[in-house]
Amino acid sequence: MQRVIERILNLLAFLLTAQRPVTADEIRMTVSGYDQSSDAAWRRMFERDKDLLRQLGIPLRVEATDAFEVEQGYVVPRDDYSLADPGLTDEERAALWLAAKVVRIGGQATGPDAIFKLGGAPMAAAGEPLAADLGAEQEEIAEAFAAITSRTELAFEYRDRLRRVAPYGLVHRRGHWYLVAADRADAAIKVFRMDRVVELRVVGEADAFRRPPGLRPADAIPEAAWEAGGDDITAIVQFDQPIVWWARRQLTGDTVVVEQPDGSLRATLRVANPDAFIGWIISFEDEAEIIEPQELRERLVARVAAAS
Amino acid sequence: MSSERTAQRLNRILSMLPWVIAHPGATVSEVCDRFGYTERQLVADLDLVFVCGLPGYGPGDLMVAYIDEDEVVVELADYFAHPMRLSTPEALTLLAGALAMLSTGQAPAALERAAAKLQAAVIPDDPDALTVDLSEPELVGVLRDAAETGRVVAIGYVGLSSGRLTERDIEPWSVFSTLGNWYVRAHCRLADGERVFRVDRIREATVTEAIFDVPNEVPPPVVRYTPNEADSRATIRLGARARWVADYYPVEIIEDGKDQVTVVFSAGDPGVAARLLLRLGADAELLDGDEVRGRLTELKGRILTRYGWDSTDGLLAK
Repeated sequence: MQRVIERILNLLAFLLTAQRPVTADEIRMTVSGYDQSSDAAWRRMFERDKDLLRQLGIPLRVEATDAFEVEQGYVVPRDDYSLADPGLTDEERAALWLAAKVVRIGGQATGPDAIFKLGGAPMAAAGEPLAADLGAEQEEIAEAFAAITSRTELAFEYRDRLRRVAPYGLVHRRGHWYLVAADRADAAIKVFRMDRVVELRVVGEADAFRRPPGLRPADAIPEAAWEAGGDDITAIVQFDQPIVWWARRQLTGDTVVVEQPDGSLRATLRVANPDAFIGWIISFEDEAEIIEPQELRERLVARVAAAS
Repeated sequence: MSSERTAQRLNRILSMLPWVIAHPGATVSEVCDRFGYTERQLVADLDLVFVCGLPGYGPGDLMVAYIDEDEVVVELADYFAHPMRLSTPEALTLLAGALAMLSTGQAPAALERAAAKLQAAVIPDDPDALTVDLSEPELVGVLRDAAETGRVVAIGYVGLSSGRLTERDIEPWSVFSTLGNWYVRAHCRLADGERVFRVDRIREATVTEAIFDVPNEVPPPVVRYTPNEADSRATIRLGARARWVADYYPVEIIEDGKDQVTVVFSAGDPGVAARLLLRLGADAELLDGDEVRGRLTELKGRILTRYGWDSTDGLLAK
């Protein structure tokens, strides 16, 4: 490991000082650690070292060494290498480190690498009684996030259709990550659940679009699953007394509820996604009943009757 | 040699150097504290830096790094005077972690400031581009306080699959959120063993006067269903519209076709699969599993009766 680290430090020192594209040959001739290898060994070694730099988040770019673009060389632009210092205090860094330790993405605990870059923090291990896992595949979320910050379009498959979108924001709510984006096909703002996004990839150039002013991606994600959709139906539901407490915990803020003398509950809800709504009512078994509209009653019955 | 460990070590060196350069006179213990070094590790890394530098690689080309008395000295390393930028996954993880903590209302003011600064640095033009909402059920705060002070809590818990209410005294160890739900890990005095309870299924909770000894090491919270032999198993064929079930539940996929997938679904209670089948309607079919079929038929009957559905003419009377 020692020799690899020495070589990388030398390579990085050279690239950061050069500030011009340097060819692979020049690197091989100049930088200590590459000099004594055969052609094949050198190529393997250099590929591995480039991977390592990328793993560290170091921007290694390939540019033409001259105006005629005869030769390509490597460059690490100093501005891209350096952190735009957020100016954190020690107390703020410690708070960030603590948050990073109790909140995970995809079950992976966050290592201290990022905090080190920000200047380190006392590594006191705290027995925090709070922990949260935000789920999802970290790489895909990170890729979507990178596209949002660089304003690059994304392509992916969603419900068996190929989509191309301008990504505006990521929202984590009710245990899921959602991508809020404008669909290129019809210019509509849509919400995609990240765990159903398949074969995500970046397409085209950076700075390809602007987020419409005033659009808050979080507003596009409804609080409950049955509020996400294109319909607008008013439904009345009867929740029986034994499960009223449970129903109340799932009803959203703008639901009108009337408590009945027998302890049951009548709720008037806005339904935007009837399928999700019916599924939710069925989860109460026979202790909840759609009273109105008749159409939703029939759909629920049809669904239940078809189950086999 | 793992590239992961090499990357971590390089990352620490390239983070430590700019900090030392910016803080002349920094002591060994300060640097060790801040970057999680033991003194031996720090010395090893400084020795490594000492033999690296610019082409020529003679005195004056190499960096200077050593410990003088108790002071860490780094010279001739100006090209490493700036800390590295955060990679996108790093920026995302830090920011998401901070925003998640903030959304629970449990975060210190320092975190609020830190998140704002990080947001300004990472997404200067789109402060709303990342939202993390971890809103807590009301009992989370009560349970967390009890875990911190070591108080026994009396709870009324309604089992997720059984729907039965039980009264229990629990010793809460930790409260955590995963995949959208909050859980409390506790020693349950009724079961005399470790249990994980979903916080939103706790109907009521009363903090008692009784104190318990908080265990030194609470194992990390992992909530993942692991099938066991006593589970009720069902073989289910999922149509295209029900495919998500295979991704969402810990099922065993036995046949993966283009338009349908066949899975084995196991759960402690047959009601879980039965309710799922009801929700899926015509999009799924139970191929095998007597217990589940029994429950399905029973549940189906109860719901259809409630809606006044008559199997002979299918009339819906309110």
